[in-house]
Amino acid sequence: MARKENGDIALLDSHLIRKPSIWEVLSNEKYFKWMLALPLIIVLLVFMIYPLIFCLYKSFFQVSLSGNALFIGLDNYRTMLRDTGFWIPLGRTFQVTVICIVAELLIGLGLGMLWNRDFKGQNIIRGLILMPLLVAPLILSIVWNFLLEYNIGFVNQVLSAIGLARVKWWDPQGALYTICAITIWQWFPFSASVLLAGLKSLPKDVFEAAKVDGAKGWFVFRKLTLPMLSPLIIIITLLRTMWLIRLFDPLYGTTRGAVNTELLDWMVYRTSFVYFDIGYGSTLAIMSLFLTMIIGAIMFRQLIKTLNATN
Amino acid sequence: MREGEKLKKQGVTFKRVIFWVITILVMIGILGPLLWIYLTAFKSSADIFAGSLNRQLIFTPTLENFKRLFVQFPFFKTLGNTLIMSLGSTVLVMIVALPAAYSFARWNTGGGHILFNTIASRMFPGVVASIPFFIVFRHIDLLDKHIGIILLYMYFNVSFATFLLYGFFRDVPVELEQAAMIDGYGRFNIFRKVVLPLVLPGIATTSVFCIIWSWNEFLFAFLFSRKVATTVTVLISSFWGSIDVQYGTMAAGAAISILPTLIAAWFMQRYIVRGLTFGAVKG
Repeated sequence: MARKENGDIALLDSHLIRKPSIWEVLSNEKYFKWMLALPLIIVLLVFMIYPLIFCLYKSFFQVSLSGNALFIGLDNYRTMLRDTGFWIPLGRTFQVTVICIVAELLIGLGLGMLWNRDFKGQNIIRGLILMPLLVAPLILSIVWNFLLEYNIGFVNQVLSAIGLARVKWWDPQGALYTICAITIWQWFPFSASVLLAGLKSLPKDVFEAAKVDGAKGWFVFRKLTLPMLSPLIIIITLLRTMWLIRLFDPLYGTTRGAVNTELLDWMVYRTSFVYFDIGYGSTLAIMSLFLTMIIGAIMFRQLIKTLNATN
Repeated sequence: MREGEKLKKQGVTFKRVIFWVITILVMIGILGPLLWIYLTAFKSSADIFAGSLNRQLIFTPTLENFKRLFVQFPFFKTLGNTLIMSLGSTVLVMIVALPAAYSFARWNTGGGHILFNTIASRMFPGVVASIPFFIVFRHIDLLDKHIGIILLYMYFNVSFATFLLYGFFRDVPVELEQAAMIDGYGRFNIFRKVVLPLVLPGIATTSVFCIIWSWNEFLFAFLFSRKVATTVTVLISSFWGSIDVQYGTMAAGAAISILPTLIAAWFMQRYIVRGLTFGAVKG
């Protein structure tokens, strides 16, 4: 509040002396803050609102390969509701999201608890587990595709060397889970790091008090540790949901949507860029957007809330 | 009494062994596949396709994969393209996001609604945006041009950067700015001389993240490039689409192209958690 008064006084002073220059007017807080945000607002309008309107518009048309558009009203939406090619990938995306998040949280929590102590080389370990996180998912998926190849892949060679049967990692029954496993492999270091940081920052005296009171490990974990970690668990879940429903790169590096692994974004991509069916592609895109926006709205409200709580 | 202590000591040693066994297994699990890229890069095709574990592990290192990569494929060109696009888009992102983040952090411009929309745009599926942009880019001749992909990367990173910078700007105490204002600093100078030096680590972190996200990006690069503006991820992805899978060349390309991200992961340790959680967890 005090600062605002200062701004007003400064403006008043300049009024008394001469007519304020355009720069002075714009430096007035009221305009200045909008001026700073203006480039971003323009970018958002161009890059967000325009595609949205475009897709919404095209979703009412049947667009041929030559570009001729025929208005067909809601037919694309009717087709979509009856199209298993839409519902199955949607269900699969949901499945992948749940599997990956649950696994990442469990592994992350386990490793967080394990490493939440002082031991030799702890900083090196904590640094090394971050290594896969920033590597391009596409490249990692190609590498995993190679590692899990049936004949020459390293994993199957090890399995057969120790007397186990080779696994068909990419057959239609299991390929989706293989993709989950690759994703979990890349991302469990994320939840482990976040939860470890959370565990390190928990107040120690509470745990000591619980120990004095004779509380057992599992009880302490369930009644103290878990509730105190829950904001972090929520953040991880929300962020990972956001990334997982957009999963695309690992599909390109492995199955390319074949063997029952087509996910939401791959379906939009295939319809729009392989079949070049812009009308129906736009309809699917709008639906995909609609679903993710709902999840996004929930998640970012929570994220902003957490940001405000920690500051 | 003695027996009890002995047992307890054994228990501690046993626990310690378990601890290290799990830790080492996890580390092998994490680093093994990354290491495998580098091993494969130095193997001859014969060793790669031999199908015997011995030849996979014990082999004579060769540079033939790198040679093939540099001679037969436009590897350095795509690497250069990736670099230009990553840096170019990051500069654009900063020009847009820096003032906006400051505005949101300082004056809560738009009452949080614009910030919310900014971050919601991160949810905007890339494939959805691709359809209209593809058609527009075709009309204004931006397909397969560096600047086209730079613009897309800017769009793709701007919300993330704004949000992360917003968190860093919030860490700057308002009192500092008030003091500077009383000292007669103009608004622009306050930003330049007081706020900017304090958020410099934040700007560096955000920039590195933007560079890495662009460096790793695949979908836009794949859809919007043909021959001229292909990035290194697109080139590497092409190795396994062809009829004979060129694992060696692929590994050589991957080994080089992921090196910057691995180095960044090591040196940015402190900031990775903060960056990946959009600033919500300080790590």
